[in-house]
Amino acid sequence: MSHSEVVLEGSGHGHHVPVFEPSPFAVPAKKLAMWLFIISDIMTFAGCLIAYGFLRNAQPDWPRPYHSGTIISVMIMTFIMITSSLTMVLAVRAARAERRDEAFRFTMITLLMGVVFVALHVREWFSMIGQGVTLYKNPWGTSLFGGAYYSITGIELVHVIAALIAFVIVGMGYKRGRYTAVDLENCGLFWQFINIVWMFVVPLVYLMNVAG
Amino acid sequence: MTNASEEQGGTGKYYVVYVCMLVISAIELLVAYRHPGAHELLGALLILSFIGAALGVLYFMGLASENRNAMIGFAVFTLFVLAAINYGWTDSFRILLGVPYAK
Repeated sequence: MSHSEVVLEGSGHGHHVPVFEPSPFAVPAKKLAMWLFIISDIMTFAGCLIAYGFLRNAQPDWPRPYHSGTIISVMIMTFIMITSSLTMVLAVRAARAERRDEAFRFTMITLLMGVVFVALHVREWFSMIGQGVTLYKNPWGTSLFGGAYYSITGIELVHVIAALIAFVIVGMGYKRGRYTAVDLENCGLFWQFINIVWMFVVPLVYLMNVAG
Repeated sequence: MTNASEEQGGTGKYYVVYVCMLVISAIELLVAYRHPGAHELLGALLILSFIGAALGVLYFMGLASENRNAMIGFAVFTLFVLAAINYGWTDSFRILLGVPYAK
């Protein structure tokens, strides 16, 4: 007999009736799992950003290469991320109200903005590569700059791409009735988390290094 | 975002949060282009980022309307670990101020 089953002694039938512990946080198990994943992912990004800050602080010749073109591009990406957060929260809200078409529409708008974000991000990478920034060297200063830059923005980019894949799978599945509003909400939580991380990446990686 | 009452409410607060986050990003940009000292810039940017992140977590991620135990549990656990992970800064300053510089 598993932990989740008991025999009802008084029933006279000896039925195995599942017994569920009340959720400690009164949230669905899937959502709790997503929150726990996000907390663990916070540690990942915090570790990366603090390691980046450590390196930047300890290197007197840390480059400050970002000119207005890059900063404008990054601010457009920020605008896209924040706007997509709004469309995602509207998608989740519609899903809770069982307005499937509206939820799907907002999810796809979010997906589209995510694709634009990725395109701008890749363009930014190509620009940096074109300026001679690789993992191990750059034309300006300490060789650690490239590795730190590509690591942090790369892990952000991987998260965005993963979320976009989830949007396609869960968004389509939700429209067909395969997935529930909770599943879409979990995608939304992940997307909001990525947006929040971006709100730290922009100031620490870009705005702290605006060319003087 | 789990309360039934919230489902019946309008979407106004989401638009307010959205505008606040855009304004915060714009302020960060302005602060960066004023070229203050590194420490002042870092402090200002981190404060603004934490305000933006708090808005995002509370309203866009819906933690403000979750069960209070969940909110406290997630917040305390996360903030504790984030605080603990900062132990390395003193060593970072030692490398910076030590002679010779690490290259």
